[in-house]
Amino acid sequence: MNQASTQPRGTGLDTAKVATIVILGSETFFFGTLVSAYLFMRGMYPWPLEGAPLSRLAVPTANSFILLISVITMALALRAVRANQRAGLVAWSTVTLLLGLVFVGGQIFEYTSNGMLPNDSGFGGVFLTLMGFHALHLLAGVVFLGVIVMRARLGDFSAKRHSIVEVGAWFWYYVAAVWAALYTVLYLV
Amino acid sequence: MTTQTETFPYMHRAEKSKFLSWVLTTDHKRIGILYLSTAFIFFLVGGIEALLIRLQLAQPGAQVLGPDAYNQVFTMHGMTMIFLAAMPIAIGFANYLIPLMIGARDMVFPRLNALSYWLFFFGGLFMYSSFLLGGAPDKGWFAYAPMTERAFSPGMRMDFWGLGVIVLAISSTVGSINIIVTILQLRARGMSITKMPMFAWNMLVTSFIGIFAFPSLIVAAALLILDRQLGTQFFNTAGSGNALLWQHIFWFFGHPEVYILVLPAMGIMSEVVPVFSRKPLFGFTAVAFSTAAIGVLSFTVWAHHMFSTGMSTISLLFFAADSFLIGVPTGVKIFSWLATIWGGKLRITTSMLFAMGFIVMFVIGGITGIHVASVPVDWQVTDSYYVVGHFHYVLFGGTILGFLAGAFYWFPKMTGRLLSERLGKLSFWTIMIGMNMVFLPMHYLGLAGMPRRVYTYPADTGWAFWNLFETVGAFVTATGFLLILINIIVTLRKPATHEQDPWDGFTLEWTTSSPPPPENFAQIPSVRSRRPLWDAKHPDMADTH
Repeated sequence: MNQASTQPRGTGLDTAKVATIVILGSETFFFGTLVSAYLFMRGMYPWPLEGAPLSRLAVPTANSFILLISVITMALALRAVRANQRAGLVAWSTVTLLLGLVFVGGQIFEYTSNGMLPNDSGFGGVFLTLMGFHALHLLAGVVFLGVIVMRARLGDFSAKRHSIVEVGAWFWYYVAAVWAALYTVLYLV
Repeated sequence: MTTQTETFPYMHRAEKSKFLSWVLTTDHKRIGILYLSTAFIFFLVGGIEALLIRLQLAQPGAQVLGPDAYNQVFTMHGMTMIFLAAMPIAIGFANYLIPLMIGARDMVFPRLNALSYWLFFFGGLFMYSSFLLGGAPDKGWFAYAPMTERAFSPGMRMDFWGLGVIVLAISSTVGSINIIVTILQLRARGMSITKMPMFAWNMLVTSFIGIFAFPSLIVAAALLILDRQLGTQFFNTAGSGNALLWQHIFWFFGHPEVYILVLPAMGIMSEVVPVFSRKPLFGFTAVAFSTAAIGVLSFTVWAHHMFSTGMSTISLLFFAADSFLIGVPTGVKIFSWLATIWGGKLRITTSMLFAMGFIVMFVIGGITGIHVASVPVDWQVTDSYYVVGHFHYVLFGGTILGFLAGAFYWFPKMTGRLLSERLGKLSFWTIMIGMNMVFLPMHYLGLAGMPRRVYTYPADTGWAFWNLFETVGAFVTATGFLLILINIIVTLRKPATHEQDPWDGFTLEWTTSSPPPPENFAQIPSVRSRRPLWDAKHPDMADTH
């Protein structure tokens, strides 16, 4: 027995969490590039662009609250699994999932009811692209939550063993944070 | 020593047929070999495209290809060499070697590993299928807007480019995530990050560059497809977009990409040079930090590709100075290899020859890189053959020679057979003579005014002689690679010798059989220094760090 063999291998951190941090770092550059492209365009032309629905804050703002509530329900789901409460995990994860679907529905409503088109030489294409990529991420989170709900019902998680729920929650918080950034640059500044 | 039992569920899944066992494999060594062999085939295809380019340019007014085919071939030459050859060769080496070097049984996510290979495989086939479906992408690998917009590029060529690039970028991102997490999580006990082999260090930094750079490429390609298919206006200057936006997004990926291409080869250098000099790598910590510095700086120099687009003086100054700066950590590496060779007990194997060739050729590419980072020089030579000469000294003289050094070094580990040294040395000298015949006159032609990306030139320009000379050089280079191909085929037909440690190596991959068993090590080793195998062979002279 030598000294080295008593040391941990690698970082000693949870592999799922390490991988998630790496993935979210990559995602940050993805959305960072999208937002930078949008700000670059804004810097080149008089703003607001033709068709920019700056006065229509109702749906996006309502959606912000829906997403905020979903972050809270996600945190409650996480608290439940840490306390080994399977029913709480299933219930709060389901609520979070449904709130996510409501959010995506709101986004689709906002896009269609505003008469935005991708080629309307203005806001439509920007909205479709930035919000579209965000909505796709949110839908990925919905699928992730669906898997968590199914596995939770099968009893796959316990207070000690639930790193998938932890990283699922990280992803959900992350997508909400991206929304906050997009809402700010598209509607507030 | 404690015995370690690790769960290893993916090993013996597909043993029904030999073909299926390769298709369904999740073994990092097999995926590594799949990567290397597929990428080598793509490399040969890209090489044939280079020969076609040279044939077209051999004489003024030649009609070997004609303008349309020429544009497709030079675009696909670039796409192939970057996305289908150099990057997957690096990932292939990383796949095969990193678990062996850090004392792990496999990559941390074996199935994700298979996914990234098959995305690369089908992404490559998809890109090449465009030749049969209306023509290949023809706007250069950089695909500058607005030439790529629907108005100027109808048909599906640029859609093939966009979708193919997205698939390949996702493949590389997935592969990079796997490499990062493997290195962070699966190092043998005692192998702290400062005792990790330098190749693993370089792949760690390369992969970090990758996960931050590829998203921009995906965004660029996605916005291009949206512009073309749905009519968004991102790159349409007549609408609400801007064609320069493309260049910013593309080069924010494109310049880090240069380091994604060259750092893996530098990592190979830092393994090969010490072993054949019989000395530890000089200035290990400085080399590791210079690698990280290159990684960070690579994200801050992208606009030096855009000096001629009319930038503000302050931007020009910043990006020029920053580009000079990145030469410093690169120089640290060069001096480290020189100092490692200095006073070493040299063994001039084919692998070492290619490594020394790397140093000389890469320095030429590095110096001309400083030239073109200087704004007034760049204004003169931008879009000329000077730039083509510059980046071929970096990517051929650097990346490809580094890969060849690695190929001759690790081939015995992967196959249990040593490549012929006689044929190897012959191929080395053929390639060295050939590549300098092709790429050195490019600098002169560039200064004489020959623009890049043109399919022909008039006779009265005086460019004909050196163009013909380059074409001859291209065929000399191709002969060198033919010798390597023959070497590989002849060697593989011989019986395996299974030498475990033919080069008297330093690192953990030489402590297991050649080729290694599926589980790599009977026992996961523990490590106390940077050269665990040296310590085991020379306990009286063991390293202290």
